[in-house]
Amino acid sequence: MSLSKNQIAKLLQLIGTTKEDSMDCECCFDRLAEFAEAELEGRSLCEAMMAVRTHIESCPCCADEFKALLDGLRAIGNTDDC
Amino acid sequence: MNVQVLLDVRFQFCNNPLPVLRPAAMEVFDMVNQQDEWVGRLTGPNRDDAISELRAFLVRGLTKSMASRGGGDAFAQDIAQDAVIRILDSLDQFAGRSKFTTWAMTIATRLAISELRRRRHQDVSLDSLANGGALQIEDTTDDGNADAAKRDALSTLRQLVDETLTDKQKIAMQAMLNGLAIEEIASRLGSNRNAVYKLIHDARKKLRTGLEKAGITAETLADLFA
Ligand SMILES: [Zn+2]
Repeated sequence: MSLSKNQIAKLLQLIGTTKEDSMDCECCFDRLAEFAEAELEGRSLCEAMMAVRTHIESCPCCADEFKALLDGLRAIGNTDDC
Repeated sequence: MNVQVLLDVRFQFCNNPLPVLRPAAMEVFDMVNQQDEWVGRLTGPNRDDAISELRAFLVRGLTKSMASRGGGDAFAQDIAQDAVIRILDSLDQFAGRSKFTTWAMTIATRLAISELRRRRHQDVSLDSLANGGALQIEDTTDDGNADAAKRDALSTLRQLVDETLTDKQKIAMQAMLNGLAIEEIASRLGSNRNAVYKLIHDARKKLRTGLEKAGITAETLADLFA
């Protein structure tokens, strides 16, 4: 099976966005709630949170989950009294 | 959890400069209160009320976040139910670094996305995608008028795939380019998400390094195939 044009474009995008990534998906998940709050509140990121961001930029699956999480948190406001 | 321990962990991790010491400390106190409150309620005498409240909260978030991803209201209800069970089983893992509700929504969201991925590709085998492991990059430039630079780039990429990737990396890459999520590839390979992420990430790095050695940067590729 050969790649379609779209798949080649996707492959090139994956290659182009490859970074050194010190995290794996499970470590990312462990810190994702904290990272989502930092993002939603516009906080500056500490080193551990920068590592989460790098992983999300490099991992399409964690990126999908993160986007969905932000959608959910925005929908509920996620205020302290929830 | 002891407040001082939390503070130590936070400062050790984030190494925040002194000027933000007080706000960070205040946040930690808030988080401890939240943790105590939710965990206490979910394990206390009125736990049924707390569980109902948590489930309703998750349903609200999931209904919104899954609507555009192929999950309807009933799906949100089902996942929220499963998520509550998972959350109650994992209460000791809540470290208080975020609001309890954010942590809970993180668990529910991952469950939801994983289930959607599983349903979407439940009948897809790796063999049907990869034809026994090949990742072939054929010349798909439209016609004879295609840019020579494009052809050269694809030719280099094809050679790198053939010569530097392992069979397992080719299979995983092919599956990913066909839309399978990493965890779906992992389940078919009898592996786990972390290992497959690393397998694919290493393949990406090999290809990137190989292309750069051949004088083709990511920017060049983006320009060529824009
Ligand atoms: Zn990941």
